[in-house]
Order: sequence, then C-alpha cells, then structure tokens
Amino acid sequence: MTDATAAAAASTAPAPRKGSLLVQDARTRKRNAAESRFKAYGLAAIAVGVIALVILVTSILGNGTSAFRQSYIALNVELPEAKLDKSGTRDLEVMKKVTTLTYGPLLAKGLQDAVDSLGIEIEGLTKKDVSGLISQEAAAQLRDRVLADPALVGQTVQITVLASGRIDGYYKGRTTLASAELDSNVSPAQLKLADALKQKGLLTTRFNAAFLTAPDASDQRPEAAGLGVAILGSAYMMIVVLVLALPIGVAASIYLEEFAPKNRWTDLIEVNISNLAAVPSIVFGILGLAIFINFAGLRASAPIVGGLVLTLMTLPTIIISTRAALKSVPPSIRDAALGVGASKMQAVFHHVLPLAAPGILTGTIIGLAQALGETAPLLLIGMVAFVREYPAAYSATDGLFGEPSTALPVQVYNWTQRADPAFFERASGAIIVLLVFLLIMNAVAIILRRRFERRW
Amino acid sequence: MKTATLTSALAIAALSATAAAARDQVQIAGSSTVLPYATIVAEAFGENTDFPTPVVESGGSSAGLKKFCEGVGENTIDVANSSRKIKDSEVEVCTANGVTDILEVRIGYDGIVFASDINGNAFAFTPEDWYKALAAEVVVDGKLVSNPYTMWNEVNPALPAQEIMAFVPGTKHGTREVFEEKVVIEGCKTSGAAEVVKAERGDEKACSALRTDGRSVDIDGDYTETLARIQSNTNGIGVFGLSFYENNTDKLQVATMGGVVPSTESIASGDYPVSRPLYFYVKSQHIGVIPGLKEYAEFFVADELAGPDGPLAAYGLVSDPALTETQAAVAAAGM
Amino acid sequence: MGLLMSPLLMLLLMTAFAIFGYVTAKARAVRLSGGDIRRLASLPGFYGQNAAYSVLIPGLGVFLAGSLLTRIAARQADTGVWQDLAQALPGLVPVLAVVAAALGLGYALLRTQPAFRSRVAAERWVLGLLIASASIAILTTVAIVFSMLFETVNFFSQYSWTEFLFGTTWAPDFRGNSSLGILPLLWGTLYISFVALLFAVPVGLFAAIYLSEYAGPKLRGIAKPLIEILAGIPTIVYGLFALVTVGPMIRDWLAQPLGLGTSGSSVLTAGLVMGVMLIPFVSSLSDDIINAVPQAMRDGSLGLGATKSETIRQVVIPAALPGIVGAVLLATSRAIGETMIVVLGAGAAAARLNEGIGEMVNPFEAMTTVTVKIVSQLTGDTDFAAPETLVAFALGLTLFVMTLGLNVLALYIVRKYREQYE
Repeated sequence: MTDATAAAAASTAPAPRKGSLLVQDARTRKRNAAESRFKAYGLAAIAVGVIALVILVTSILGNGTSAFRQSYIALNVELPEAKLDKSGTRDLEVMKKVTTLTYGPLLAKGLQDAVDSLGIEIEGLTKKDVSGLISQEAAAQLRDRVLADPALVGQTVQITVLASGRIDGYYKGRTTLASAELDSNVSPAQLKLADALKQKGLLTTRFNAAFLTAPDASDQRPEAAGLGVAILGSAYMMIVVLVLALPIGVAASIYLEEFAPKNRWTDLIEVNISNLAAVPSIVFGILGLAIFINFAGLRASAPIVGGLVLTLMTLPTIIISTRAALKSVPPSIRDAALGVGASKMQAVFHHVLPLAAPGILTGTIIGLAQALGETAPLLLIGMVAFVREYPAAYSATDGLFGEPSTALPVQVYNWTQRADPAFFERASGAIIVLLVFLLIMNAVAIILRRRFERRW
Repeated sequence: MKTATLTSALAIAALSATAAAARDQVQIAGSSTVLPYATIVAEAFGENTDFPTPVVESGGSSAGLKKFCEGVGENTIDVANSSRKIKDSEVEVCTANGVTDILEVRIGYDGIVFASDINGNAFAFTPEDWYKALAAEVVVDGKLVSNPYTMWNEVNPALPAQEIMAFVPGTKHGTREVFEEKVVIEGCKTSGAAEVVKAERGDEKACSALRTDGRSVDIDGDYTETLARIQSNTNGIGVFGLSFYENNTDKLQVATMGGVVPSTESIASGDYPVSRPLYFYVKSQHIGVIPGLKEYAEFFVADELAGPDGPLAAYGLVSDPALTETQAAVAAAGM
Repeated sequence: MGLLMSPLLMLLLMTAFAIFGYVTAKARAVRLSGGDIRRLASLPGFYGQNAAYSVLIPGLGVFLAGSLLTRIAARQADTGVWQDLAQALPGLVPVLAVVAAALGLGYALLRTQPAFRSRVAAERWVLGLLIASASIAILTTVAIVFSMLFETVNFFSQYSWTEFLFGTTWAPDFRGNSSLGILPLLWGTLYISFVALLFAVPVGLFAAIYLSEYAGPKLRGIAKPLIEILAGIPTIVYGLFALVTVGPMIRDWLAQPLGLGTSGSSVLTAGLVMGVMLIPFVSSLSDDIINAVPQAMRDGSLGLGATKSETIRQVVIPAALPGIVGAVLLATSRAIGETMIVVLGAGAAAARLNEGIGEMVNPFEAMTTVTVKIVSQLTGDTDFAAPETLVAFALGLTLFVMTLGLNVLALYIVRKYREQYE
C-alpha cells in the first residue's frame, strides 16, 4: 500500500472512538447486521431450492409409488382341445392360428367357475362384469404358455394373471365405489366381486417387478405397461453420450483453454460453443431429423440417433464446465511440470487434467442428467413411439444401438398423453425410476468429488 | 508376417459379410388420434403372429405423412396414420420422391364430444349456441358486433347460468377443423348470421373466427391437458374425442348436441353430427419387402378388430359401415 | 463389401492396424538405437505413438470423409457424375481408407530414426485431434443452419418475410391465409424468461455464495447435490407440476382475488416453475466460479477488517463476475429454449400485442413462446408443405440467430471485464 492511499484511507476513517471496546459502535452493529442478513439470504435461497425439490418429489412419490404394486388374480383355466387344437396333432404352426380372442373367453370361464364354486353372489353382476376383471394381457400370457408347452392342451392349468386397470386402481384409491357408478369401464358390482376374491385370497396385490422389465402396452391395458424398453433405450443413449461427449468435450476444452492461440478460428469456436449451449433443445431435434435420419439414413427411433443428438446437445455443457475446471488449476502446476522438462501436452495430460477431474465430473454429470431427462429433441426423431420389442445393443441389420426403442422421459411424456388415468400413475412411477438413476449418478459424483475436491 | 495375419483376418471378415437383410419390423408414424388404435392393433398383431410388434410413432398426421413421403426404402416408414385425408400437394411431394403407390385405408370414425366437469351443470347444446358463445363477432339486431356474451344463458336461455369458458383444440389439431366446420360454421348458418357475415366480411368463413378475449382457450396439447384444465377450472367446457371421454366418464359429463347423446351407435348412424374419418396410408411399394406389412394392414381392418364388436370399437372407434370394401381393397393391394 | 462399410468393423480394423504400427515402430526405434535408448531423441514409446496416430487418423479420416461423400452421391444419384460416384464409392472407400492408413504407417516407420523428435510429432497429431474436437461445435452450427435453411427458404417463398418478422398477430389457419407474425411469440418468450430469471438468478446466486463461502462441508455435501437434482428432473415433470399444482394455486390465491385473470395457466406460473428449474444452472456454475477465485484475495480483504459479506460483495463477486454472467446467460438460454413447461404452464395462446400494454404485461395472462409453436406446428395435423407447418423452421432459425446475437454480445461483455488472476 502506498502512502497516498494510506493517507486517503486515514482521511476518510471515522473519528477516534470513545468508550469501551466491549460495546459495539453503531457502524459495527450495522455491518454485523448486514453480515447476518446476507447470510440469511443465502440460507433462504438454499431453503427455497430444497423446498421446491421436496414439494416436487413428494408430489411425484405420492402419485407414483403405487405403480410398483399391482393386483393379480390366481385362476384355474381349462384348456379344451376342441378350441385350441382342433386337429389334435399339437402342431405348433396350426396352434398358432388360434388367436388371443379364443383364449380370452377361457380365462373368463375360469374366473366364472371360481366365482360359482366359491359361492360368491353379488347383485347385478353380469358375465361380462366377471370377465372384465381380467386384464386383456392375460390372454396373450396364456397363449404364450400353451404354445411353449403344447402338452398343456386338454388339461386344467393354474395361472396368475393381471387384474384389469380399474380393479387395480380400486386398491390404489384411484377408483372408488362412487366413481365406478359413473365410470363406463367398471361397475360397483365388479369392485364388490374383487373384494370378495381378495377375501378368498384369489386376488392379491404385490410388488410389480414387471413395471421395470416389461415393454410398453397399448391404451387398453395400462396394468401391463412397463419400462423395460425405455430403460434399455435410455441406457444405450447414455452410453453413446458418455463415450462421445466426454472425450470430445474434454479434448475441445483442453485445446481452447491450454493451446488455442487468440485468433479468428478460436474466436469462432468460442462463440459457437457458447451459442450451442443456448440453442433450444428442440432445434437439436430438427438437426437430428435432417442430418442423422434423412441424410445419414440412420433409422428413426434408434438409440444411436438419440445418443448422437444428445451428445451434440450435451457437449457445450461439458465444455463450459471442463474449461472452468481447467481454469481453476493454478498455473504453478503447469510451470512446475514444464520446468522439469515435460512438454506442454504432458503437463496438461499428466498434471492439469487429473487435478481438474472433479470439476469435469460435475459438469459431465450435469450434462448427462440433462441428457437423461431431455424430451423435446427426441420428440422429433421418432422416440415417442410404441415399441414392444426389446432393442438389441447390436444387430446385423441395424448396427450398433440401431434398433428402435423409447427412452425414460419420452415414455413419461407418452404415458401422460394416454386417455386412461392409470397411465398417469405409471408416468409418475417412471419419473421415480428416472430420479433413482439420477440419484445413483449423483451419489457416484459426490463420492468422487469428496475425494478430490480442493481449493487452491 | 503380421501383415499377412491382418489380411487374412480382413478376408474372413469380408467373407462373413452377408447381404444386408431387410428390416423385419413394420414402422408406423403419424396422428396422435389414430395412435391408440394403432397400438392396440400392433400389440395384438405382435401377440398373434410371428412378426415382431410394429413400431408406432406419434407426432401428428403432418409429421407422419412427411416421413411417409420422404421416399422408398428401408429407412423410410411403411405406414402413416392420419386423422385427415392426404392432401393433393402432399401426394405430389410423395410422387416426386418416388412414393407412387399409396394405399388409403379408412379405419372408422372419431366422434368429437363436448364435456364438462362431472359435478357441474348438464348441457344440451346446439351448434348455434357454440357459434354465439365463441365467435369473435356475432349478430345483434342485424349488425355484426364483437361478442358481448359472458354467460351461457345469455346465449340460450335454456342453458345454465354458467360463465362461458371453452377449451378448444389448437389450430394444429385436425379436430379444430372439424369443430369449426361442423359446429361453429354450422351454427353460424342455422342462426342466420352467415348472411350478415357474408355481407359485411365478404366470406361466410369469417364466421369461424373465434373470440380472443380468453373465453375460448386453444389447447395445443392433447385431451389430458384439456381434462386437467377443466379440473382446475370447473366452469370450463372442453372438446374431446369420444374414446377419451369414454375412458374418463367418472370425471366428465358429456353434453348432447342437437338433442343427440354421442355414442358409437349414434355416430355410426349419423345422428350425432360431429365426427371425422380416420385413415392410415400404406406404402404399397414396401409390401413384399418389409415382412408383415400387408399382414398388419389386413389384421387392422379385420372384423375381429375394427368391427363393431372388436376391441377398437370398445375403445371408442366408431366402426366404418363400409369396412368390407376396405378389407377387399387391402387384400388386393400389392398384388 | 457391404459389411466393410460398417463403421464398427472399420474401427476395429484400424485399431488393430494402429497397435501393429505402435509395436513395430517402437521395436524399430529400440533396434536403431542399438540397445541404448539414450541415443533416441524421444522415448521409444513416442515413436510407437506417432506410428499409431499416423495409421488411425488418416485411415479413419478418409473413411469418414468417404462415407459422407457416398451418402451425398447416393442422394443425388439421378445425375451423371453422381451416379458413377454412387456406384463406385461403396467399394472404393474402405480400400482407400486402408491405403491411407498403410501410407501413414509407411511414412511413420520411415521417419523412425534416432534423431527424429517423435514426441513433437506425436503431440502434433494429438493437437490436431484436439482442434478437430473443438471444431465439432462449428460443424454442429453449420448442420443446424443447413437443417433448417431449406425449409425456411421454402417457407419464405410462400409467406412474406416482412410479415413474419414484423407481424403483430399470430393466427395460423389450416385453410390458408394465416397471420404468422413472430412478434407475439417473441414477446411471450422474453417475458416468461424474464420472470424465470427474476426468480432463479437471486436464489441461485445466493445459494452458490452461501454454499461456497459459508456452508460447512456437511451442509455443502448435502445441499449442493440436492439442488443439482433439480436440474435433472425432466422438464415434463415441471410442466405437470405447473399445470396441476402451481397454476391453480396462483389463480386462486393471487389472480382472482386481485381481479387480474381467471386462467390456470399464466406467465407467472410458467416463469416461476421455470425459475425453479434454473436454480441449479445458476448455482452450480456460479459455485464453481466462486470457488475458482483465489483464496489470497479473500484473505487479503478479511485481513483488512472487512466482514465476510463485504468481502464477498466487493471482492469475490466482482472477481467472479464474468463467470457469473456466463452462468446467467446459460440460464437465459435454457429459459428461452424451454418447451415442456411452457406448453403446460403458460398455455398455447399467443400474446395479443394489439390490445394495449395492460394485456401485454399482465403476468396472470396465458401466453405462449416460440419453442411451443415450433413443436406444435411440427407435430400438428396441417399439410406438411403448407406455410403453417414450415413456419416452424423459420421460427427455429430466428431463435437460433437471436441466441447467436445474444451470445456474441455476452461474450464481448465477459471479455471486456475479464480479470486475470494467474
């Protein structure tokens, strides 16, 4: 500090204070008050963020946890040869001609028999009501079972099938006796029957693993819809994003931060990157459609296309945070490395990069989280689709990650658009799954960051 | 030496290369109105045949037809779902891109209904009521004035005293076109306002301009959004598809139109006036190339599915009385 | 030859080739040094590295460029020269790629001499890769512009550009004769973004300051990831949250008592919920930037008797300002580009610019944004060759140009005020 500034400071300094040092003067009190106010603002800000999260999460959990439980009905079903294999040859090709439309009534009869034999009597219960308790998925389940083991024909088999969506909703509070009165898809008599079956132990509600593994189902059977395809699709896309965006992003940041001369080309790149971070995600969808699908001829709905689009979208995020992390490594580290004979490249790759890793990781996780939850661009490249076949990671015709699939957030979007309210519960359940993945990713990041975070 | 090993490895790889097999999964895209029906069919198709379940994309009739007309080949879609007929201009684009053989399949009709909150007032509308309630300009004392009505009973004394608040499909929806043509313009004509409009604005189509003071709200999303809005604003009356209403009868009550209650029967018979046909378009050039394409089309229009007792009708599709002709047309395709 | 065009196989092939090159060049260097590697200008590994890069980069580069050309040729196959190319290329490209790789290997082996500074050569290849990675950003931009340009030109051949840019009504009509002025959409976009930032910037910034300057490791360890989770929640969830929870709440508690509106969806709803979404973008990035301010500066200020908040306000924040501006800009871009929240929270009705300022700025009115209209026009049922659908591309391009302008400006500001602490 020079004399001039010292003098200036002295001239503006307050007059010498009188009184005890133990009593704070007005100015100090004011400054201290400002201090605690400032601190309170900070705490309040964090509280606002956390409260927002808590409200969001509770509303999601409140709606979605029930998706993990499902009602099932245990049945004994006769499999008459006259209906399932008229030829009697047990020839699979012939038996395949028998569609689920034939299997449906068998299940209905099985349940009707059970109702009769248990002596359940409910006023106004029709035959159609009884069959309405069983999910339409059940017929396919039974058919698959018979085709897998043709010897079952002619026997009576025990089978556990899904209860229909409205009945399931009854045990989740979505359907009530009052709403069933008005609902054209379910009658109060059906609900009473369900209660009776539950009492007899035929109808059970238990954990629904199929929600995580089964593929999507059509609008008529929300009870059968699962996330299997969506989880696979999201996983494939995240692999593509991680494998492409992380190395490319880090490489680009290293160049820009450590090597780039100040010239027009670098300027152009800089402007481009910060601009791409601002480009609405939907525009990346237009890009994906035009370049990857229409021009490069990749297949619509393929995870590779989604992955590429999300990579381009995530790159700026990763580059921006990686650069910040590289910048925070003090120059002395580089100088030391250069001083003992390392090349600039070695100094960067051997010393700066490892030290910047925690920051890079944070950025990558934000980028990946953003990519994992992104809906809008996937909308335009055909990921909002009804896909029931599990996509293979590699196939001869479609290449790597080339088979159609959906993705978690898109599945959420898809389900919120369905007419049956049971899909809303499933959408919330899907969000929970998504959040669990995010939590895992974040936990890994926290552990890594805790290990390595340091302040220079 | 090492080069030799490498070359042999290369040769083996080249030998194992087989001719690229065709895509074995039917790819479908298009209208979100047709989507539920298409998924029901696709699901049943996958269950009951050896073909893989087709992939059904949603995204609107326009996007579906655009992809459809992109060209011929494995990386283009095979079927476009549409809630409207393909336009001539679109057929031209198709032809220019080599898509010359298009099979149009009408699967049935979609009823458009007016519904309000289950606990609210019941409504019995006529098209005229809707015109008067929602048009930007209405005729009062023989003159065209900007719409002064705020309550339904001002429009028609028989209606309940409830504030006018309507959630209508946005202009992106095909439903909007039907709504304007079969309800608003129809009401304009029957109320006699059409002549005044024609005299003052030059074209009676000006009838369909909706008021923009917030009493008519465009919904660009889907019916779930309309439902959510009605639940948060119980004065609202929404425009829905029949199938959506039938899945939510515990939350919505449907209004009659011209005294007719909408149902698959009353729409099939033509008594209920507001409905539109639904289609899908098959790229006939792909029949025989993409396994299962023709089978899918036939399966869709089969009586077991699209007939009056099939699952599609159960879901709310008004089945087409002329289904047999459609079946014949599909069977003859690609021959 | 079909399978040879498979990128995966090519990659495997080239990798094998590169490993072969690495081993050979390294062995050759060691052999040439006569057993004493001190005679080499660089460590033997660098000779290997140089050879590996000399194989991989030209080989894959040629393959990539060739594949691209094949695509272009295939799409233009109806004209003379292209037709020949389309036929010849698929067989030719893999061969050319292998030849390029072999040439690279030969050259590298030829240069593997004791006096050859292979570290410099290898690092030059790496630098090339770094530059290429950085240039992907430019490629992406070019691709974005191209993917929208043709359709936009198509649109402007059917619709006057002056009416698009300066029109004050947005009223698409499937019968044609639509008014497709962008101004109402732009107004909605900017207004909602402004409300969102008004909420997110103070909250995010204060959260970041508290976390990096006051919070102990325990609170930081819990609060930071919790807030970051907000960034990962899909926007569709926020949208539903806006529609089902926030919208009705604002309507019942604020808008209706004040007599300002009866709509469940409003600018305020969308803005607030979007603000919540943006908190982590502002806080996480600001946190990193504040952490990067050297401790010595804080120590200096504290040593002079400043309180902690005075230090933060007068030393840390000014030092971190360019970075914070960057973070806020990132948040702005998110806000402008956000779609799902606005679809559900703000509505689909375009702002009405002709009905006075009161209508325009009422935060309880429903309003819509450019992004919403891009989605809705692209996913609608209108004729796909009609201006009503094509306008989506023009909107996308406008938005793109707008953000570009905004960013160039921001970059200029940041550079002008950047302070170096190295």
